[in-house]
Amino acid sequence: MLPTEITTIDKLYDYLFAAMQLEHATIPPYLTALYSIHPGTNSDAAHILRVVVVEEMLHLTLAANIFNAVGGQPTLIDEEFVPSYPTYLPDGEKDFMVSLQRFSLGAIEIFLKIERPAKAPDENSRLIKQPTAGRSFINRVLRHRGIDAQYYSIGEFYAEIGRGLDYLAETLGPEKLYTGDRAKQANSEYYYSGGGELFEVTDHDSAKAAIDLISGQGEGLDGGIYDKEGELAHFYRFQQLICEQYYKPGDLPGEPTGPPLSVDWTAAYPIEQDSRVEHYKDSPELYNAAVAFNRAYADFLKTLTTAFNGQPQLLLDAVPQMFQLRGKITQLINNPIPGKEGLNAAPTFEVAPFLKEMQK
Amino acid sequence: MAVLFPEGAAQRTTVQRASNEIYDVVIVGGGVAGAIIAKQLSQQGKHVLIVESGLGEDITLASYEGYVNDYFGTAMKDNQSPYPRNPNSPMPRSTDARKITPGIPDTTGYLVQNGPFCTDTTYTRVLGGTTMHWEGKTPRLLPDDFTLRSSFGVSEDWPLPYSEIEHYYQIAECEMGVSAEVADQTYLGVTFPEGYVYPMHGLPLSYLDQQVDKGIRGSTVRIGEERFTLEVRPYPQARNGIPNKAYRYPQTHNSPNKVYMERQGYVPVGAVSTSQVELGERCQGNNNCVPICPVQAKYHAGKTLAQALQSGKVELLAQTVASKVHINPENGYVTHIEVKTYNDSNSPEYTASAVHGKVFVLAANAVENPRLMLASGLGGSSGLMGRNFMDHAYLLCWALMPQICGTMRGTNCTGGIVGLRNGQFRSKQAAFSVDIHNDGWGWAVGSPASDLLSLVDSQNKFGRDLRRGLIDQISRQLLLAFMIEMLPDPSNRVSVDPSYTDRLGNMKPVISYHIPEYTMRGAAYARRFAQLVFQRLGAADCTQYDPSDYGFVAYEGQGYVIRGGNHLAGTHIMGTSKSSSVVDVNQRSWDHQNLYLVGGGSMPSIGTANVTLTIAALCFRTAEAILKELN
Repeated sequence: MLPTEITTIDKLYDYLFAAMQLEHATIPPYLTALYSIHPGTNSDAAHILRVVVVEEMLHLTLAANIFNAVGGQPTLIDEEFVPSYPTYLPDGEKDFMVSLQRFSLGAIEIFLKIERPAKAPDENSRLIKQPTAGRSFINRVLRHRGIDAQYYSIGEFYAEIGRGLDYLAETLGPEKLYTGDRAKQANSEYYYSGGGELFEVTDHDSAKAAIDLISGQGEGLDGGIYDKEGELAHFYRFQQLICEQYYKPGDLPGEPTGPPLSVDWTAAYPIEQDSRVEHYKDSPELYNAAVAFNRAYADFLKTLTTAFNGQPQLLLDAVPQMFQLRGKITQLINNPIPGKEGLNAAPTFEVAPFLKEMQK
Repeated sequence: MAVLFPEGAAQRTTVQRASNEIYDVVIVGGGVAGAIIAKQLSQQGKHVLIVESGLGEDITLASYEGYVNDYFGTAMKDNQSPYPRNPNSPMPRSTDARKITPGIPDTTGYLVQNGPFCTDTTYTRVLGGTTMHWEGKTPRLLPDDFTLRSSFGVSEDWPLPYSEIEHYYQIAECEMGVSAEVADQTYLGVTFPEGYVYPMHGLPLSYLDQQVDKGIRGSTVRIGEERFTLEVRPYPQARNGIPNKAYRYPQTHNSPNKVYMERQGYVPVGAVSTSQVELGERCQGNNNCVPICPVQAKYHAGKTLAQALQSGKVELLAQTVASKVHINPENGYVTHIEVKTYNDSNSPEYTASAVHGKVFVLAANAVENPRLMLASGLGGSSGLMGRNFMDHAYLLCWALMPQICGTMRGTNCTGGIVGLRNGQFRSKQAAFSVDIHNDGWGWAVGSPASDLLSLVDSQNKFGRDLRRGLIDQISRQLLLAFMIEMLPDPSNRVSVDPSYTDRLGNMKPVISYHIPEYTMRGAAYARRFAQLVFQRLGAADCTQYDPSDYGFVAYEGQGYVIRGGNHLAGTHIMGTSKSSSVVDVNQRSWDHQNLYLVGGGSMPSIGTANVTLTIAALCFRTAEAILKELN
């Protein structure tokens, strides 16, 4: 059994909470880039972005399933759940920033960094012990729960959770670890399709499989470009846009041999990067629309939370909410910001005040 | 689950290669019938050639979305509007329909119409066939539909009963991915084996359906001595919904991914493309099912075709129109089929060649199959080739509901009134099933565009009043589409005439068609039934039939407008002997032992069920027969 920081169930809950935050954190940037694409253009890029978002949501749901399986209570309405953008994500020794920005070559290059498989060079480098400014997303989230740890990469962070599950199953026994009510598990009946099958987590094997799937699709530590389910890893999905060619099974990393695809990097709205609702203070209509989106997004997180806490059928209700969110986002993205020449508005995802209201 | 269309498959086979090969099976037509037979045969190792008259492009996401964008951009949203005009593989369009002057054939469109009744029926000549525009409803025929003569003394019985085709219905429901609940579909004698479930759960009834149900539930109508209780029932549909965890893939079906054979639970088949995409695995309610589903949640034959092509044993020769079937006069066997291959839909130039096989299958639909046979001089010993042309007669009745019903939320049709699909009255008048249209009065009068024009141009509304007016007008629309049975009548027929040819020199189909009295009696009753239903709902009947409409039919002093259903059948009718039918119970031609004519043309009756599910079931059955013959 490999050494781990996760030696108690409470620590496991903290790491799982961090995992859900992490899976969610890439959704706003991916969605913003997706909806900034001019309608009727960049069909290939739009589909690639969309499938990655759908898969992130799958990861989020799987993480919730693991959380429920070990008797925890997943929540997406903690005030800190949605980061403020730009936010830092780990990448070896150096962290990098992720912004809410329009679809562009630069944006895709950042997305590649997020998804790049990064295995630590050795056991000692996995967990970064030297004092840091604590800017990394994972570090901040864990510190919020009282844990001071920083990981080499997202992949190593998930590997840690896997080690923690092994440790706890071994020391407590699986029946004391997997105490969750099966009725809370979300499965493919309620989950709206896409990228790998959602499954219930009921025991150690399914918990490990869930962690594998979450880290396999984004961040394969084993180097294969397709995962066990035959799904192309996110890193390579994005890389197709840079190579302007699709991958097919059997291809080597970096050498896609599938059909060509075309990208028009200029066909996206010039939205303001990392926008804030206060930038729209002078235009009441725009300001209200931006605030309305943030409120709607908070409601969406509330729906998911309720679904993950004993009402999985509510995932069906989340679907029309997602279509309405799309409507609100495109409405913002289509509108120039008065007084800021050449810049359009954008969704700001400043949901903390609304989440705070929900705690009361 | 994504379905990969092998890259380049549509272009891989050249005319030279195809004409030098003797295939196990040559299939004319890349629609649902041809795709199913190709898939079944190739999975057993047979070498198959599909000849498709439409354009030869890989089914990629980009090309499909091109069709969707063309549809969104077109002003006239008829059911062929996504598909470009191709004079080398022309297809009927509803915009071509004209009122027929007795004695003067109408040659405006592709179909030459002798009349007296002008049909606006259409079919789609692209890869995937008419499933590229169909609505996607998949009811089964009722057991009594197979025994019209024994049960009601009209028409003829099928040469096989419902019980012998039931298993194939299950396979077809699997292939096309049908969403329904057995409990909702067990009525009027339809039975399912113990424990059967549909691949996916039934799609919910729309709010509009529920309002209609509330108004009519429990009330009854009487025809002759029989009473019928009214209610709204969901229709089974071939579009992706919530997978049913209890589903088991049928034993004889070669599932697309062997992994799922062992696991319980259906895996929805999504969009087709040459690279992995995640799309179309669940219906979003876009409500433009006809003509085209923007996300491919609706089944289209491209999904089966892609799987057939993956086997490596199926070749596709597109932009290739079959022009003549040649036989060996000594034994009647088909020796080869002459085909014309064009490079460019804008040019009449073509290369003539021939394709050879051990077995030949015509799967080009109930108009094109007999057209080809008759153009080849192969009318057959029964004299019935092309005769008994049937299509469902549609009578539309529309009204304005007293309350807002959320009309225009998809799918096009989720429920209907199906209690009158059967009864003793069928000895005298046609049965019908009633579709509740979630897309309002669109089919009848062109809503919502017509409403917009009326509010703006005639009523001079704008701003808030315009918005309010649109909501008030459109959200209360109720359209009942009565799908009325038609019996085979030999004088309704498809024929050919050398004076009418298309640009490649192939003879065009000539349709002679009238609506039989049996059907008009059903239509007359349908009109009264609609009035009754509207009364019970408190809805304002807005139905109007214009005598100058091309589909206008006068019957017993009343006027009706009958529309085509695109459910073409009967033209190579199935039966028990070569003197009274064209094909046998396996859809094999009586006159030509290595030739199969498959599709709606084989059906001796259409009952009150959309024909595609039955066509698919029959083709799975035929594939078994062909395999037996080849082995």
